[in-house]
Amino acid sequence: MKRQTKLSSEEQQHATETKAQQSSTVQFATVEEALRHDAGQTDVPPAVAERLAQSIRNLPPPERSWWKRILGR
Amino acid sequence: MLSPAEFAGLYHQHSRAVYYLALRYLGDPQRAEDVTHDVFLKVYRKWNDFRGESSWRTWLYRITINHCLNYRQSWNARNLVTNADDAVWENAAARTESPLHILEAKELGQHIQKTLDSLSDEYRLLLLLVADEELSYDEIATLTSQSTDAVRGKLHRARKAFAARFHQTD
Repeated sequence: MKRQTKLSSEEQQHATETKAQQSSTVQFATVEEALRHDAGQTDVPPAVAERLAQSIRNLPPPERSWWKRILGR
Repeated sequence: MLSPAEFAGLYHQHSRAVYYLALRYLGDPQRAEDVTHDVFLKVYRKWNDFRGESSWRTWLYRITINHCLNYRQSWNARNLVTNADDAVWENAAARTESPLHILEAKELGQHIQKTLDSLSDEYRLLLLLVADEELSYDEIATLTSQSTDAVRGKLHRARKAFAARFHQTD
């Protein structure tokens, strides 16, 4: 009876592992599908936006156009 | 000049696509960050050059591809490059028609990168572009400076090469 309990426990563990494995397995019918899934999981690092904002702040102010300079506007 | 809100909207809508293309084309996360930064800074400074003849996405991809190609050329000039032999994988008969599967979802990115790295630059770029549902075959043809028929033919071979290589690296 004890052995039976042990087997049941192992089977239960195996079932749990199999279920976990199935949930983490992915399958794709096409290359595009795999790439889209991968793209959806790939976030842009936040550092890019921060660096971009800093770069924009450091840009020189845009030059006024020639006609605005002539007309003093 | 684009308003801050317009620019933020543009970044929010397209930055993932730009970053992903650069990441998987170059296979280098740091360089992909640099490219994404440079592309959007260029857009901010040169948005007047956008004539509206194509979509924003296509214009952004054009700039991204140019940045990536420049990087690849400078890298190739400094390093010995062995060209991937696409023909070997195009002609591989085994398992190219079966679904692509991978055990662990978290390994997908690594597996895809490894597979893409084994293909030629051209096949890699075509596959990454066709995966974007916002792009038509005509737009891909324009972006890669070839006819639409040529794109279709090469994509057919690129898919086969990718699938064969993907399974081979299982």
